[in-house]
Amino acid sequence: MSEWSGTVWLGAVALVLLLTLGAIILVYLLMRLREVRQRLSDREAEHEVVLDRLQENENRLRAVFESEPECVKLQSADGTVLEINPAGLALIGAEQPEDIIGRKIFVIVAPEYRDYYRENMRRVFAGESVVYEFKAITLKGRSCWMESHAVPLRDARGNIHALLGITRDITEHKWAEEQARRHQSELTRVARLSTMGEMATGIAHELNQPLAAIANFARGCLRRLRGGEVTCAELIVPLEEICQQADRAGEVIRHVRDFVRKRVARMSAVDINLVVRSAVRLTELESRQQYAHVGLDLAPQQPRVWADSIMIEQVVSNLIRNSIEAMAEARSPHREVTVKTRQLGEDAVEVEVSDLGPGIDGALIDQVFDQFFTTKPDGVGMGLSISRSIVESHGGQLRAESRPGGGAVFRFTLRAIGRTLADNERRYSLHH
Amino acid sequence: MSDATVFIIDDDQAVARSLRWLIESVRLKVETFTSAQGFLDQYDPARAGCLVLDVRMPGLSGLELQERLKAQHGYHPPIIFITGHGDVQMAVRAVQAGAFDFVEKPFNDQDLLDRIQRAIAHDAGQRDREEQRSQLKALFASLTPREREVLDLVVGGMSNKGIANALGLSAKTVEVHRAKVMEKLHARSLSDLVKMALQNQGG
Ligand SMILES: Nc1ncnc2c1ncn2[C@@H]1O[C@H](COP(=O)(O)OP(=O)(O)OP(=O)(O)O)[C@@H](O)[C@H]1O
Ligand SMILES: [Mg+2]
Repeated sequence: MSEWSGTVWLGAVALVLLLTLGAIILVYLLMRLREVRQRLSDREAEHEVVLDRLQENENRLRAVFESEPECVKLQSADGTVLEINPAGLALIGAEQPEDIIGRKIFVIVAPEYRDYYRENMRRVFAGESVVYEFKAITLKGRSCWMESHAVPLRDARGNIHALLGITRDITEHKWAEEQARRHQSELTRVARLSTMGEMATGIAHELNQPLAAIANFARGCLRRLRGGEVTCAELIVPLEEICQQADRAGEVIRHVRDFVRKRVARMSAVDINLVVRSAVRLTELESRQQYAHVGLDLAPQQPRVWADSIMIEQVVSNLIRNSIEAMAEARSPHREVTVKTRQLGEDAVEVEVSDLGPGIDGALIDQVFDQFFTTKPDGVGMGLSISRSIVESHGGQLRAESRPGGGAVFRFTLRAIGRTLADNERRYSLHH
Repeated sequence: MSDATVFIIDDDQAVARSLRWLIESVRLKVETFTSAQGFLDQYDPARAGCLVLDVRMPGLSGLELQERLKAQHGYHPPIIFITGHGDVQMAVRAVQAGAFDFVEKPFNDQDLLDRIQRAIAHDAGQRDREEQRSQLKALFASLTPREREVLDLVVGGMSNKGIANALGLSAKTVEVHRAKVMEKLHARSLSDLVKMALQNQGG
């Protein structure tokens, strides 16, 4: 063997080794590459799943947002509407999203409520959750009351970037509240009136005393002056008396005014039969004096009525008193008054007061309810007028009728506490 | 009549004072009381005049006062009730029970004063008659039983002769008794005698 051939052999071996190594490395690299590819594609798949989930979530939220029956909207700090759902569009009277998105929300807030609205927005962007009511005028021009619950929306870094508001129309509720308030103040007015009626006789007496004294003192002075037999000094005392009595009369009037101002209606669930009984008790003296008898025909177990019992008691006693007076005036032989109660359908109770007196002339049947209409020498003519306003302020009606055989019939209805009231109460408790 | 007094009873002192001032303008004597009881406590039936009082009074009412006076003294001065709006029925009842009159508030001053004058005159008349009646009673009391018998028969329309027969006396004796009776009773004629006898019976 030559030296050269040995070298070639060595070279060949080295080459083979090198090639083998290279192949091994290549295979290794290829395997790594496959591995990495695999991993990469796994990652991708994972990523896709996440993306899908995100998409799914977003769809779900959007569906909720879109189908939410109340107005949901996003606003920026300056009041620009960023997003709004279909219910919101309907609420503010927009035809399509562009009508309001990108515009300032203040376009639908009634001018007198804008400052208040801004103040609430400011609080939300300061991190508070708030509830506020405001008057709105929709894009279609309808004015209504709205109530908003607003909370801040934060980004990943915790910065507040929008206001999320849920708003609903509370116009009807507001109206009901307003009605209730009006009703209450009407009742209060009637309560005052009826107390006045009750007190009228008392007041008349209280006022008549000082007035009578004044007249007597003044006439005594005139007589002496006309007779020419009096000195100025003698007139001082009676004139002072006159002044004092005038002050006294003024005092009476002031008292009355204070008293009248204070009476407010007190509503409660009332058993009408109890009210009738106490009204009868109130008229006992008159019936005894006029030889009249008051009979009762009361339906057992009726629903209660929502009423101011003192006022209703007054209505019933007014009617009984009128009957007694009418029969006494006409010298009726059988002086019988009947007070009847009965349930009318599901939700009303009727009270009827009838007598065996002369009845009421057909031409006068409406007039008897007029203020100051009276056929009695010492009547005031307030009884029926006050009674009618009391009944009406309770949501009922008072009617008169003359019976063919003679005798008058007065009837009024009151709302029974039934389903309607329970409904109302439920509705109100939802809001409070 | 000059010593007649108007007694005013009214629980309202100002009203009572004003009535006094008004009534004194016709120079009548006035006394005021604030309750019916107060008046009763000092009441002297011998004092002439009339009462003016409000129908509506706390405590003893006007009607009750009227009843008490009647029960205790038989006679009471005329009462004028003052009634307020709506009290007319009460006043009518008072008049039925013997009140003299009533005036409705607000009243005309002349009207009230006229009624007061009338009441005082009525009281004076009553007192005069009462006076006469008691004098008459005293005269009759001075007759002897026999004279009384004779008088009764004379008034019954019997002649002297009839009386003599009935009593078993002589006509002469009857004549004497009769003259005595005339003298004692200050009667001037037969008709005087009859009138006085009837008056005495009536009292
Ligand atoms: N039961 C009745 N029978 C016949 N007439 C009646 C009856 N009730 C009322 N009237 C008539 O109606 C009128 C008005 O009645 P109302 O109660 O309003 O006043 P009044 O009784 O006259 O006075 P007051 O204010 O004192 O009650 C009476 O004056 C009477 O003519
Ligand atoms: Mg009446």
